[in-house]
Amino acid sequence: MVLTLAFLLLAAAFGLAFIRMVRDPKRDHRLLTLDRVVALDLMSTLSIGLITLLAVAFNRPLMLDAAIVIALLAFLSTVAFARYLEKGKQ
Amino acid sequence: MSLLSQVFLLIGAFFMFVAAVGIYRMPDLYMRLHTNTKSATFGVSFILLGAIVHFWDLAVTTRAIAIILFLFVTAPIAAHMIGRAAYIVGAPLWPGTLSDALKGMYDPTTHKLAETLLPEAAPNASDLTAPSADHPFSH
Amino acid sequence: MKYFLLNIFLAVSWAILEGAINAPNLVVGFILGYLVILISRRVLRPYRYLRLIRRVLSLVMFFLWSLIVSNLLLAYSVLAPHLNLMRPRIVAVPLDVKGDVPITVLANLISLTPGSLSLDISSDHRVLYVHVIYAEDEKATVRNIKEGLERRLRSFLLPSQEEA
Repeated sequence: MVLTLAFLLLAAAFGLAFIRMVRDPKRDHRLLTLDRVVALDLMSTLSIGLITLLAVAFNRPLMLDAAIVIALLAFLSTVAFARYLEKGKQ
Repeated sequence: MSLLSQVFLLIGAFFMFVAAVGIYRMPDLYMRLHTNTKSATFGVSFILLGAIVHFWDLAVTTRAIAIILFLFVTAPIAAHMIGRAAYIVGAPLWPGTLSDALKGMYDPTTHKLAETLLPEAAPNASDLTAPSADHPFSH
Repeated sequence: MKYFLLNIFLAVSWAILEGAINAPNLVVGFILGYLVILISRRVLRPYRYLRLIRRVLSLVMFFLWSLIVSNLLLAYSVLAPHLNLMRPRIVAVPLDVKGDVPITVLANLISLTPGSLSLDISSDHRVLYVHVIYAEDEKATVRNIKEGLERRLRSFLLPSQEEA
């Protein structure tokens, strides 16, 4: 019951982040990309939470390893994106 | 499943939902970074705490604590990188923003932040070198 | 440092005597070892160590408390029906802490506490630029940051720099 509610909340969160990521308010494209990077960063954090919830729901502690990998990769990709966009015009 | 773990999982899911609402609703990119850094990290930590209580096992505990610590160290760094890039690219501040101390401080070509000496920074800085009377370890 | 090793040693001995070296036993052993050092302070004179632990704990408790407050505040401001209550600013905070590691720690702590997010630092490392959501009064905001986090951070960073 509680797990269902938690899963629903996370699904709604994924939906909101996804809407923010795909919508196109017709602005400078680097700015739009930054918006999308922020939304993607949130989605990777959300997926860490989702994997942990799944590990609890299925009683499989090994799934936490996947969460570790996502945590490491998400940070690297966010930093790489930010550096790349900052240097854009040079 | 214990009650405590259920409560933790639910609190965590709620704060992650709040983070997503913030991403959707907040008016400018800097405030979206706020929710991304604080609410999302906080929510994930609570979900991981729930997992710790649920499994109550050394391997899970060390792993979950490693993830929590890693997130708490990296989230502000990622926010700093995105915030800096956003300011340089020229992300607009919300019209309700009251003041902007960063305005005109970046060099437009090198992206280097100017060396600043605020009027109130100088006395504070000289304070540091003089041993103060209320210094906690000068017994 | 000596007393920290002694405390670790006491914690490990406690865990061995309990029969299993695991996290709960080590934590209990560390707390008991701290109490032992506390009781025998007249003989050992470990005042610096006791104060250091107390100050680290004070910073950690203050940080956890601000973390909870900041998240409740942010949750409220996100879910509130209208967003006009926010008074965001980018403020410049003059820094008293020196050195890369203390500044990094301070910037990270600022990012995780109520309504503030460190954006960048001036290239001479003396001013930190912080985006704050609720900053009706600019001076008070800067003062809160300096007297809350930075003072606590300085109080136990300085002695360790003296030792080094």
